[in-house]
Amino acid sequence: MTTPTSPAPTADIDIHRLTALADVMLPAAHGMPAVSDVKAVESYLPQVLGWRKDLHQPLVRAVDALDPSLFTIDRLSALHEEDEDAYVALTTAVAACYYLSPVVRELIGYPGQAAKTYDPFAYTEWVAEGLLDPVVDRGPIWREVPG
Amino acid sequence: MTYRADVLIIGAGASGGVAARHLAEHGFDVVCLEQGDWPDRSAFPGARPDWELAIRKDWAMSPNVRSRPEDYPVVHDDSDIEPLMYNAVGGSMIIYAGTWPRMLPSDFRVRTMDGVADDWPIAYSDLVPYYNAIDQQIGVSGLAGDPAYPPHDDYPLPPLPLGAAGRRVAEGHNRLGWHWWPEPNAILSAPYDGRRPCVQRGVCTSGCAEGAKASTDLTHWPKATAAGARLITGARVSRITMDPRGLATGAVWLDRSGVEHHQEADVVILAANAIGTARLLLLSADDRHCPDGLANSSGLVGRRLMMHPFSVVTGWWDDQVEGWQGHFGASITSYQFYETDPDRGFVRGAKWALSPVGGPLNHILPMRAGNEVWGPDHHELMGRTFGRGASWAIFGEDLPEESNRVDLDPERTDSHGIPAPRVSYRISDHSRRLMAFQEARAEESLRASRCRETAVASMIPYSGWHLMGTARMGNDSASSVVNTRQQAHDVPNLYIADASVFVTSSGVNPTCTITALALRTADLLVQHRSEQKVPA
Ligand SMILES: Cc1cc2nc3c(=O)[nH]c(=O)nc-3n(C[C@H](O)[C@H](O)[C@H](O)COP(=O)(O)OP(=O)(O)OC[C@H]3O[C@@H](n4cnc5c(N)ncnc54)[C@H](O)[C@@H]3O)c2cc1C
Ligand code: SF4
Repeated sequence: MTTPTSPAPTADIDIHRLTALADVMLPAAHGMPAVSDVKAVESYLPQVLGWRKDLHQPLVRAVDALDPSLFTIDRLSALHEEDEDAYVALTTAVAACYYLSPVVRELIGYPGQAAKTYDPFAYTEWVAEGLLDPVVDRGPIWREVPG
Repeated sequence: MTYRADVLIIGAGASGGVAARHLAEHGFDVVCLEQGDWPDRSAFPGARPDWELAIRKDWAMSPNVRSRPEDYPVVHDDSDIEPLMYNAVGGSMIIYAGTWPRMLPSDFRVRTMDGVADDWPIAYSDLVPYYNAIDQQIGVSGLAGDPAYPPHDDYPLPPLPLGAAGRRVAEGHNRLGWHWWPEPNAILSAPYDGRRPCVQRGVCTSGCAEGAKASTDLTHWPKATAAGARLITGARVSRITMDPRGLATGAVWLDRSGVEHHQEADVVILAANAIGTARLLLLSADDRHCPDGLANSSGLVGRRLMMHPFSVVTGWWDDQVEGWQGHFGASITSYQFYETDPDRGFVRGAKWALSPVGGPLNHILPMRAGNEVWGPDHHELMGRTFGRGASWAIFGEDLPEESNRVDLDPERTDSHGIPAPRVSYRISDHSRRLMAFQEARAEESLRASRCRETAVASMIPYSGWHLMGTARMGNDSASSVVNTRQQAHDVPNLYIADASVFVTSSGVNPTCTITALALRTADLLVQHRSEQKVPA
């Protein structure tokens, strides 16, 4: 079972090559940084592969299969066809590293899945306000059945 | 001497837990065999940074993807929908969303009302006392008075928050003059029965670490064991054993290290869900008495599998609604297009449930629906949609067909070498028409709720969370497997407590009805205890 684990060694993955691929997948655009701008791969890949050891070997294959100097987004769908596990490992690892970055999370306004408190009786306010009245006023919509 | 229990229950999930508690509290000596373990809430991934990675592998909804030792593979190469489940004390409730609707009166009378499939041999009114009782046991949050239902008892707890999205869609439906109502959920909105309320973290389908979402490991098993029930975990049943008089004598089971045991009992109750139960009945075939499977003189064991075709229609607003947050049951529901309108070109309908849309990975690597976008457009898409959406989850009524079935795979096995179930299932043309209509209406709903854009993910395959109908209930032993007490026609001391017995699927989430039926079955066993046939 996945539990918070120690980072995995990544010596068999060419981090520069993977970062170059990742920068094509998630470049600087629309006010967002590129993967390399936030050092997402070098900072988070060991942790991501510690959590998801099953991604390691397919990711190695993906990095070997794609030449960063020729890489375009179109090449991703070819990888999907040729080696689906490698495709899934690459897209999952790149996205996971990027969206673990606090800078990126701040920019998209995502604090993580946070616990919140609320008043369980606040519903009385929208009931009193009449939000449900039109529904109730239209009357029953279930069908009577024989027997 | 071998120890013989009054009742052996196979499976400690939703139906097994409810039956065990009721029987143990009424003086029965109950043993339950469960292939999984007690869930360890401290290992649930929802509050961890790797949550979105975990739900794609070790915490996947699919047993085939998780592949833990307690999971059995479900072969689904020939199925339009992938069956999903969880194997542990609490069963699939550990990862269910917690939506808790009752079925409707017309759901039990589809032949009479709409000329399709079959009527149930029991009626909505037969289940009402059990629905009321189970809502109290579970701790349901909701609001009475929904005009989509006959009047019934109030829920024990107030409804969960509508959230910004729920509120907007409620207002949209008011503009359209369409039904909506706060969804009843098996999730606590306030402290109840020693449990803490929901904190809206939105990770319900990978386990609720807070214990706010009901599952029988919390709501039933502690009370069952306090009343004397014995729950054996890591116990995988391989077949039910029989005596020469045609009565069940117990079950053979394997422990974690593969050692075989036999548990004797006067009565056996199957509660292994509609795939696990059909699998066990087929595994219990014996050449002399039941070559085609136990309790299968009708030939219907494994047939009429229903899984609810499922579509997701998502809408996005211009501004943030924290679309990753909130209970993953549903905030609001709509039954506007639930009951039959013959002018639509199909009969029956669908229930809609408004849900959050998950975190960033789910957004860009969607498991349920949607396309991946890379390159500069990725950021444009995220900026436009992330945190700004909500989804109508649409469950269409799935009419039973004998060709949709569970049988045994000739090659694949579980970790103990027991044959795996194989599912063959096709979504019918009728369902396709029904779903296309609902999807179009759901887009209208979201546009009326002022969403800027909408998208439809139609009949997605990764959605087999509602497993029903593989051992149907009926009065006639030639055309059904169990009677109205859920007692096998062929084996009078064998009962089925789970959704295998469903005659039709309705269009609502099934667990409220599964547990009400399990409580009724256990209650009738108590009432008829003196006349129960048992092995010598
Ligand atoms: C992701 C997801 C979301 C869902 N959301 C909802 C929802 O919002 N609302 C709703 O109503 N329903 C929902 N469901 C469905 C709900 O979880 C099931 O309907 C319910 O749990 C079924 O109860 P059951 O007792 O039939 O089976 P289960 O709860 O699946 O329990 C069966 C138990 O039997 C055990 N078992 C099986 N075979 C053997 C064997 N050979 N030996 C020993 N033990 C065995 C299994 O390990 C399991 O623990 C959801 C399901 C999933 C997977
Ligand atoms: S949202 Fe509520 S029910 Fe769901 S996991 Fe969180 S606390 Fe539990």
